[in-house]
Amino acid sequence: MNKYIRTSLAGLLTSTMIASAAFAAGTHPTTGEALADDQTFTYRILDEHSSVDPQVVEDVSGAEIVRDLFEGLMNQDEDGNLVPGVATGYTTNDSKDVYTFTLRDDAKWSNGDPVTASDFVFAWKRAVDPALSSPYAWFMELMSIDNASEIIAGDKSVDDLGVKAIDDHTLEVTLSAPLPYFPQMTTHSTTFPAPQKVVEEFGDAWTKPENIVSNGAYVLTEHLPQERSVRERNENYWDNDNTIIEKVVALVINDENVALTRYLAGELDRTEVPAGQFPRLQKEHPEEAISFPRLCNYYYTFNLSDGGPEAFKDPNVRQALSLAVDRKIITENIMAGGQPQAYTFAPAATAGFDVPDVEMAAMSQAERDELAKELLAAAGYGPDNPLSFEMVYNTSEAHKKVAVALSQMWKQKLGVNAELANMEWKIFLEERGNQNFDMARGAWCGDYNEASTFLDLLQSDSGYNDGKYNNARVDELLSEAKTSDDAAPLYTEVERIIAQETPVIPIYHYAGVYMMDSDVGNWPVKNVEQNWYSKNLYKTAE
Amino acid sequence: MLAYIVRRLLIAVPTILLLIVASFFLMHFAPGGPFTSERPLPPAVLANIEARYGLDQPLWKQLWDYLYNIVVHFDFGPSFKFKDRDVNDIIAQGFPISLTYGSLSFLVATTVGVALGIAAAIKHNSWIDYLAVGLGIAAQALPNFIMGPILILTFTLWLGWLPGGGWNGGQWPYLIMPVIALATSYMGSIARITRSSMLEVLNSNFIRTARAKGLPTRTVIWRHALKPTLLPVVSYLGPVFVYVLTGSVFVDIYFSTGGLGQAYVGSALSRDYAVLLGVTILYGVLTVLVNLLTDLAYAWFDPKIRY
Repeated sequence: MNKYIRTSLAGLLTSTMIASAAFAAGTHPTTGEALADDQTFTYRILDEHSSVDPQVVEDVSGAEIVRDLFEGLMNQDEDGNLVPGVATGYTTNDSKDVYTFTLRDDAKWSNGDPVTASDFVFAWKRAVDPALSSPYAWFMELMSIDNASEIIAGDKSVDDLGVKAIDDHTLEVTLSAPLPYFPQMTTHSTTFPAPQKVVEEFGDAWTKPENIVSNGAYVLTEHLPQERSVRERNENYWDNDNTIIEKVVALVINDENVALTRYLAGELDRTEVPAGQFPRLQKEHPEEAISFPRLCNYYYTFNLSDGGPEAFKDPNVRQALSLAVDRKIITENIMAGGQPQAYTFAPAATAGFDVPDVEMAAMSQAERDELAKELLAAAGYGPDNPLSFEMVYNTSEAHKKVAVALSQMWKQKLGVNAELANMEWKIFLEERGNQNFDMARGAWCGDYNEASTFLDLLQSDSGYNDGKYNNARVDELLSEAKTSDDAAPLYTEVERIIAQETPVIPIYHYAGVYMMDSDVGNWPVKNVEQNWYSKNLYKTAE
Repeated sequence: MLAYIVRRLLIAVPTILLLIVASFFLMHFAPGGPFTSERPLPPAVLANIEARYGLDQPLWKQLWDYLYNIVVHFDFGPSFKFKDRDVNDIIAQGFPISLTYGSLSFLVATTVGVALGIAAAIKHNSWIDYLAVGLGIAAQALPNFIMGPILILTFTLWLGWLPGGGWNGGQWPYLIMPVIALATSYMGSIARITRSSMLEVLNSNFIRTARAKGLPTRTVIWRHALKPTLLPVVSYLGPVFVYVLTGSVFVDIYFSTGGLGQAYVGSALSRDYAVLLGVTILYGVLTVLVNLLTDLAYAWFDPKIRY
């Protein structure tokens, strides 16, 4: 860390360091490691977050901040398991459409007010209120909360939402359909409580540092948009005694190479590794370059709508193209960050998901190429009648490299002419959403840790099904899975059908590829959703 | 003179209006909207949002409301992306930062550039001249997006002297690299213009007369040669000032300054209409004002010019 930053940080930290003398001088209560005096965690975010209003926030970097500032009913631990948050536990009825949460009595807002069930009721009604018009209102529909859809559509009053405070510490939620994984969804920021008095007093400006009141382990103390956002310990947080990190600084750095340079200069504790640089960094900094599976997939989708290319209506053609993709080259030579090769749509890391024995995964690449040639020839394509189509992706160096590799593989192995076209993000989304493409790049990160968050994309009436894949059996299995106690076999069957029919070409699953200062303790590498809580981290003495 | 200023300002009004209308329609005709996202919003949710921001109204009505709010309330509208801030907030927070970087770069580019140019012209064909010309050309060939990485790698990673970015209340170590990155190429241009202009002036008759009268070189340069030398430089400075302000877009992004550049580019990519328009208007107004100031400065530098 260079001296200018050190000087300025030292000044800022003096006050908080006095308060934390007990921990700063000591050791970690469970691991016994010596703790650093300076418990500040500084990390890079790609872009300015949209908001820190829990009901409004829609981006990952914003949700990370909201997870520190606010606490919902349930939290996740380092492995992604459900642990108590504001709620100490919950019960449900036999039909799993009424959930009752018991709230702890020592939870407080940062202004000292108690956190009660009515704070959740207020927040959840707020989330669906057309007056707020939250872009994440749909999450309440996804949670199947009774009347959520009708309220959003303006057909019912917000007071009809299926949530009520039985007393200060009991929250009852009524669902329009049974949902076995409902409690998992309460770790999502949209469901976090909001302080009614403050929201009503300040309106949209209630999230500014000078106004905000929050109930999480941290409070927002500084925010210079596009530059930094700082959060510091909330002394009123119920588990404050077990919190070690004093201060968390998120720095907006758009350029990932600048971020890496600043990390290497000691200005950051964590940053993302740019595509392709992991092997070098791992060699130079073996303790700091880390990679672990994440809950996101990367794929190309065929346009199967009526307006799509005739050739892609033939499953043999689709399968041939998928078989000819050498995923090893893409994951090891292009991405090179420990990304797993993908032969299924949902990542293997998804909880409660049994990866089916997809035939293709067991074959060698030579066998796949052989079969691909046969299938394509059987479909009537060959040197005399070459298959040609256009593949679109959104402008980015990494996407371009993958697209170039794919088109080369198809050209060399199958004689297929795939023309590349890149588009600016919003245009890309518009074109893909309107089925103006032959083949398009896609990627999806799970909203929650359950296979349906991925597989629902292939349901015929899903708004995210840009390829317009339509299979009645898949629809049936997916709707059955919604209410089933053991959905794993259903998901496995869906993946088998997808492997056979190949509406999409899964290419790889994401990895979290970071440079992480080796003195940062307890980073949840096993939490595939990467829902991390600063209160669970600590910094060891170097 | 006063009549001239008033006339120019009156012409500026339709110019800015035209800028607003053209930008407004171009922006709305670009594919995708502020709420186009990877997770397409359910129609009911989208309808609520569009109603809240008036995006469900016909375009002419939206434009009218927008202009009305600017003229009557000086309100440049909400940000669709950042819910707790409006355009006025975003500009009030980011512009002073951009202005700091822009003005400092302008000062550095002008003073160093003019000094280099004059030194080169006075010591024509000496090593000072060659050095100044060499520096000027090298600087001009190094746009800010090349200077940025060179500076960061040298001073942050290798030497560890300067922080690699951020604003941090505008402390001076945070200002150095962005200002150098922004100023360098303009400094090069200014040095070259000053040098050739000075050489031409030094060869003109009135300088020869001054020298023949036996005036010391210092007086010849400062009293007689400098003003006419600076005339072409001044005409270049107006655009440079606008360039350093808008050019700070790259510097803002590369050095994460928190200035307007990030908000500007980000708003274009995310179709944050009001932010994009607001910053465009700001830069438009600045351009008009700076051009006016440049024209007024001519009159001071060249007595032949009268308004």
